[in-house]
Amino acid sequence: MMRRILSLTSGRIALGVLAVIALLALLGPLLAPQDPLATSGHTLANPSSAHWLGTDNLGRDVLSRLLDGSRVSVAGSLEVALTALVVGAIPGILSVYLGRAFEWVTLRLADTLVALPFLLFAVAVIALLGNGLTQAMLVTGALVSPLFYRVSRAATLAVARSQYVEAALISGASIGWVVRRHVWAKVLPSIAVALAQTIGVGFIIVSSLTFLGIGIQPPKPTWGGLLASDLGYLSYQPWAPLVPALLIMVTVWAANLLADTLRDVSGEAGRALINNRKAHADRRSKSDLVTTGGAR
Amino acid sequence: MTTTTVQASHVHRHGVARPGVRHALGRVLAVLVRSIAIFVPVFLVATFVTFALRSLSGLSPARIQLGEDATREAIHRVEAQWGLDKPFFAQYWDWFSGVLHGQLGASWTNGADISTLIGLGLGVSLSVATFALLIGVVVGFVLGTLAALRRTTWLDRAITGFVTVISVMPAFVVGIVLIEIFAVGLHLFPSAGYVPAQQGTGPWLAHITLPALALSFDVVADVARQLRTSLVAAYRENYVTGAVVRGLSPRRIFFVHVLRNGLGPALATLGLKFPALVGASVVTEWIFGLQGFGRFANDSAQAGDVPAVQGVLVVSILLVVTFNLIVNLVLARVTPASQRGV
Amino acid sequence: MTTLSEKTKSTATDRTPSAPSVLAVRDVHISDRVTDREIVHGVTFDLTPGTSVGIVGESGSGKTLTCRAALGILPPHFEVSDGSIEICGTDITTLTPQQWTALRGATISAVFQDPASYLNPSIRVGPQIAEVIRIKKGLNRRQARHRAVELLQATQLREPELVYSQYTHELSGGMLQRVLIAAAIAADPQILIADEATTALDVTVQAEILDLLADLRERTGLALVVVSHDLAVVAQICDKVLVMRQGSVVEHGPTRTVLHDPQHEYTRLLIAEHEQYGLEKFRTPQEAS
Repeated sequence: MMRRILSLTSGRIALGVLAVIALLALLGPLLAPQDPLATSGHTLANPSSAHWLGTDNLGRDVLSRLLDGSRVSVAGSLEVALTALVVGAIPGILSVYLGRAFEWVTLRLADTLVALPFLLFAVAVIALLGNGLTQAMLVTGALVSPLFYRVSRAATLAVARSQYVEAALISGASIGWVVRRHVWAKVLPSIAVALAQTIGVGFIIVSSLTFLGIGIQPPKPTWGGLLASDLGYLSYQPWAPLVPALLIMVTVWAANLLADTLRDVSGEAGRALINNRKAHADRRSKSDLVTTGGAR
Repeated sequence: MTTTTVQASHVHRHGVARPGVRHALGRVLAVLVRSIAIFVPVFLVATFVTFALRSLSGLSPARIQLGEDATREAIHRVEAQWGLDKPFFAQYWDWFSGVLHGQLGASWTNGADISTLIGLGLGVSLSVATFALLIGVVVGFVLGTLAALRRTTWLDRAITGFVTVISVMPAFVVGIVLIEIFAVGLHLFPSAGYVPAQQGTGPWLAHITLPALALSFDVVADVARQLRTSLVAAYRENYVTGAVVRGLSPRRIFFVHVLRNGLGPALATLGLKFPALVGASVVTEWIFGLQGFGRFANDSAQAGDVPAVQGVLVVSILLVVTFNLIVNLVLARVTPASQRGV
Repeated sequence: MTTLSEKTKSTATDRTPSAPSVLAVRDVHISDRVTDREIVHGVTFDLTPGTSVGIVGESGSGKTLTCRAALGILPPHFEVSDGSIEICGTDITTLTPQQWTALRGATISAVFQDPASYLNPSIRVGPQIAEVIRIKKGLNRRQARHRAVELLQATQLREPELVYSQYTHELSGGMLQRVLIAAAIAADPQILIADEATTALDVTVQAEILDLLADLRERTGLALVVVSHDLAVVAQICDKVLVMRQGSVVEHGPTRTVLHDPQHEYTRLLIAEHEQYGLEKFRTPQEAS
């Protein structure tokens, strides 16, 4: 799978960007040149050799705050994606096997969660259940889980209707065995796509929440929080939101790109696509000695 | 659309109305019943979850009204006043029957009627949301259609690129950019605040334009992308070949045959997009200093005003459900085939 | 081909061989521009009013491409690389898109396999017929509706009023093919191409549709091109037949001659395959005479 993704330019770009962001999250706080919380008299300074991205309204180094804040955003979006995966995919797969009642209940729950304006709900739940980003992301994860529920259910349904699974069940295989042996292999690609999408969505949600100052204690830097504090000083530092905004957008874009690439390379169509590309490349490299029919 | 309405009127005139009209009525009824069958459980589950939030939160009006160091009796008295000493299900029933009658209770912070408070903010939010939907649908429609009609040309690639960029811009980033350009930079629009439409359409539009734009980006991206995909798919369908062979002009084929079928999926995405739009209003109203529904939600949540938050959630669910009902009805009208056997 | 058709005076319909041809296909070659491969290597036939030509061949033999070329709806990057096609004396290469639009429906039209997919699923079938009448014949809505119902009646649909207000998913395959035929002949074309129009239908329905086409030809002087992989279909309705294989015409001539005395091995194979499926009844009269 990995090799297939890397064989496409879009896959290489997406994974490259995401790897850089992940490194930022891991090493960011260590790389920060100054204490992200240390204030100084040097408020709203322009970029200089001491402060590459300038300082904010309290004279704190913006670059350091940006690097320090990367961990929260990345960890938060991963948490959203993984929660959604667990909360969504497992009932999604089981809904096909555990009988009509379970199916009906989970379907209705999925319908309900889709109909909830999740940002509003996240804001409400977080504010009421305690101010912590971890809880916030768990709740958000549950709210976006219907995507995984639907995707895994659709894939499982497709497998469950196939004759080899029917044959396995008739010959007495247990549900657990069937799921492990047959279903996972089919469901994984679509789940991978959904996971990449959800990381993008999660990133937007984390940024939005931190922008509103929800789920985070004030002095702690976050990408969303940086933007929020820039908002008050736009007439002094119009360029200030540029870097955090770009970082958020590039990350979301890379996650979406990864999702698209995954969708392109998974399944039979994906194999054909890759072979086709290879064939094209081969033909081009052979400098068109013979005009073959195009089909291989 | 025209063809069916025309057809219906003809049916009336010729006095063979029964099959056609019964069809149309039956379809609308079927859609309504099906939608209600889906939305009633949604509403029940969502309101129950919403109500359960209070018990989970452990918040109490006593804390808000009396402060941290209130006596146990005082807390008890206040909680009894609010009916919080009753069993959980009794409380739920009281609240739920209130909701069914349009009563969302009183705010813990100031005792004001929540329905009234939400009603005040809703005008702002609905103005912005409707305007945003309008922009989103119109711009998304134009972009998606252009990209589909000029597919694989530079125009298609340019539009696809633009749509990709705006689809990854969160509402608050768009909001900041818009304020920078149009309010701080060009002084074209006010950067914050709201003026009701009664005080003049001009100022009203000026105040809601930027927030609506900020909200609309997401809708533009989704509508454009979906419309392009489904129009391209529709052009590959055999009925287009059929129409060509019957000698219909390209323009007629696009407007009467392709658009109608391509519109369905785009409309459906609009239904899915609406909850996100309501959610994003929290952020945009914060940025643009609008005292709307989203701002009210945020403020009451931060204040721990549970009944207010519950009210907000109930109203937002109602909005989403209503909007989806409308979308479903329109869908049933535009593409009747998609309703078959669903 | 003209000489061949002169020999087929014995066919049911008696036509003057000198009638001007409505569709003249002359040595048409069709190529895929991308791969630079020639798919169809020279097809020639003439079609005069009230006659019918059958094209038989397996899938991929180029019969559908030939028809599409005549309709000007070749798939992207396919082109007529050699030869010419004339519709009522006009070379189609000289046609502008507007002229094509005017010509289609009014002069040349077509029906296809899988009729449901060739009608818009979101619009009732009747208005789709009325649309053609309104656009092509300039009738007003009321007249167009009236005419559309008449057409549905003419295609032997029971309850044409009811069918008029139904959607494609509410009709059966045979009914849809009748509707598609009604839409195709709504603007009174001179040529109708039936590309595998009966293929997916039950045998009895298939026979009914073929009867309908034959009836239309009798009554209106419509010229038919019937494309099928099934020799029996062509045998039932066509005066002349072309047998195609891998892009080439391997045999052509009056239907009876081809069926009775096939020259090419492939034609013999096709006939042999049909022996037990009742093709006999088309051959017996010839043998008896």
